[in-house]
Amino acid sequence: MKHHTQPNRPRAFALAAITIAAMTVTGCGNSLAQTDAAAETVKVGLVVPTSGVYEPLGVDMTNGFQLYLDQHDGKLGGKSVELVKADEGDGPDTGVPAVNKVILQDGVSVVVGIVNSATALGVKESVAQAQVPLIIANAGANDVADGSDYVWRTSFANGAVGASLGEEVAAQVDGPVYVIAADYAAGHEFAGGFIDAFEAAGGTIAGESYTPFGTTSDWQPFLTQAQNSGAKAVFAFYAGAEAVNFVKQYSQFGLAGTLPLYAPGFLTEGGVLVAQGAEAVGILTSLHYSDLLDSPENEAFVAAYVEAYDTPPTVYSVQAYDAAAVLDLALADVDEVDGESIQQALHGIGAIASPRGEWSFDEQHNPDQPYFLREVESVDGANRNVVLRTLTE
Amino acid sequence: MAVFDGILLTSLNGLALAAVLFMVAVGLSLVFGTMDVLNLAHGSLALGGAYVGVVFLGTGGGLGQLVLAMIVATIVGLAAGLILSLLTRGIRDHLKQALLTLGLALIAADLMRLAFGGDVKSVAAPSPLDGTIEILGRPYPTYRLFVIAMSLVVGGLLYAVIERSLSGAIVRATVADRVMVEALGIRTKVVLAAVFSIGAALAVVGGLLAAPVLGAQPGLDNTILLLALVVVVIGGLGSIKGAALGAILVGQVQTLGVALLPEFASFLLFGAMAIVLLVRPGGLLPAAHAEVAR
Repeated sequence: MKHHTQPNRPRAFALAAITIAAMTVTGCGNSLAQTDAAAETVKVGLVVPTSGVYEPLGVDMTNGFQLYLDQHDGKLGGKSVELVKADEGDGPDTGVPAVNKVILQDGVSVVVGIVNSATALGVKESVAQAQVPLIIANAGANDVADGSDYVWRTSFANGAVGASLGEEVAAQVDGPVYVIAADYAAGHEFAGGFIDAFEAAGGTIAGESYTPFGTTSDWQPFLTQAQNSGAKAVFAFYAGAEAVNFVKQYSQFGLAGTLPLYAPGFLTEGGVLVAQGAEAVGILTSLHYSDLLDSPENEAFVAAYVEAYDTPPTVYSVQAYDAAAVLDLALADVDEVDGESIQQALHGIGAIASPRGEWSFDEQHNPDQPYFLREVESVDGANRNVVLRTLTE
Repeated sequence: MAVFDGILLTSLNGLALAAVLFMVAVGLSLVFGTMDVLNLAHGSLALGGAYVGVVFLGTGGGLGQLVLAMIVATIVGLAAGLILSLLTRGIRDHLKQALLTLGLALIAADLMRLAFGGDVKSVAAPSPLDGTIEILGRPYPTYRLFVIAMSLVVGGLLYAVIERSLSGAIVRATVADRVMVEALGIRTKVVLAAVFSIGAALAVVGGLLAAPVLGAQPGLDNTILLLALVVVVIGGLGSIKGAALGAILVGQVQTLGVALLPEFASFLLFGAMAIVLLVRPGGLLPAAHAEVAR
């Protein structure tokens, strides 16, 4: 095909020359990286969104990770860190190449980050093949962490967040509960986790609605169904723009005063809580963090974070901060910096003292952590997630 | 009974969505139908209007702020429409028009992200309209009724001007035979630029009015553009009645259809469009004079 016309030939030669030149340069980069490794430095790939709809999460995660580095003189486990950043973008079409790029081209020893679950699922095989541990600092799909030696998660599993509300709602609500969630994998996992735990605690479900993901602008039909179902409370999962519109309409169509709203904490986390305004007050959520947690570790963390970035930390900041803490512990046990030894060290790091409280990796490499019941309150005119109590240990 | 009430409320919501879509789509339809310019930056204009809402109504306000925001939105729209009409003036090829306006839309999206950030912004309904009215024993947001009313006023005015006034006759004549209108001593360039500006202003005002319902965030421009394109395809090019009918249909499909058949949500909209295209390839109510432009 390529040789059927004469004029293309010189161009093809030029292309080949450039390609070979590029390969040579890349080769040099790799050999340099190997000499660096001997001098007690570790290359860490930070792959979070720096563009697209998840950009705000990426900012929080970068800040959290950077804060831990700054607090430890740029070292993790006594080794200087060379941070290689790549843009995860919106989905796996940009996220998977970004992870492959930092592994293959930059030769990092460990990858941290990943907001999108589809991206996490898309790279979990290839990091195991490349023997580069992946420390997931957000993506929550249940199947991401399955005990694979190279996949670790400092954030949460969707089902576990939903399940943490099961007993609480069964105890507090006198009657059936209506479930409403976005119709995509995460929505079903959050709702499924809640329903299983709620029914196990003796609760009954009045009905379920799964709303078209990304195309629903109007929740009135589903809210009307919830009102007509005889439910005494509503469990909902939404995040991002949908969380804002859902919460506003929950109030506008008159449910806020009559049916208590329970949700995984993402409904009222970060920027969306500001946009929801007064209509969010009174929503009860469960999450593994709130910046108002009353503990010395958290107070010190929040103070340092506000000092550095002039804004309170979010759950995303803590997840990335803890990813750095996990690496700090693991790298202290490593003589030779490579993926294989980091992965072995990760198995033995034990409990992590975090702003969210003490937690450790379970058998699946998910965090075994406390969840907190939080209520949105207006504190000094701004919405905050006030911690009511600890739900599970 | 309760189920029936729910459906009535849902179709009222469909009308509110239709009202917003009509304002945005009618500009797209007029510009394409009369000037033969495919403007893919139309969604950006609507998102720009939503951000005008964020600036003027972000933390709540009264009717005064709403009127001020609408004046600003109109000026922004007229100016943007004028620039767009100058940029697309010499380009007759639809593919080139699409590439140019899509490029402008991408630039506009990035500029708006720079200015307003990637977070979702919500806009409060202005104060006398932010409450609820009891309809069939259920509270219903007043602002949505206001949007429906505004859309009826704008649609009526537009229809009267285009179909019943002298300036409307000039616009229609320009579409039918540019050379003959020039020969009568009317500068058609000015006529076309005016149509483009008014169409753009309608999109910006439509986006502003939609802001308290849909919010403002990156990506909303594409959502609105897609819905507006479907409205134009269903309704027929260059006709106000067609845009109104298309908007009502799309509004109902997107709310009532999604509520009754949630599992087919992503199929319903394009299913409806495909059926219309099969039965009436030119749309339901295409403008009689738009055909002549071929």
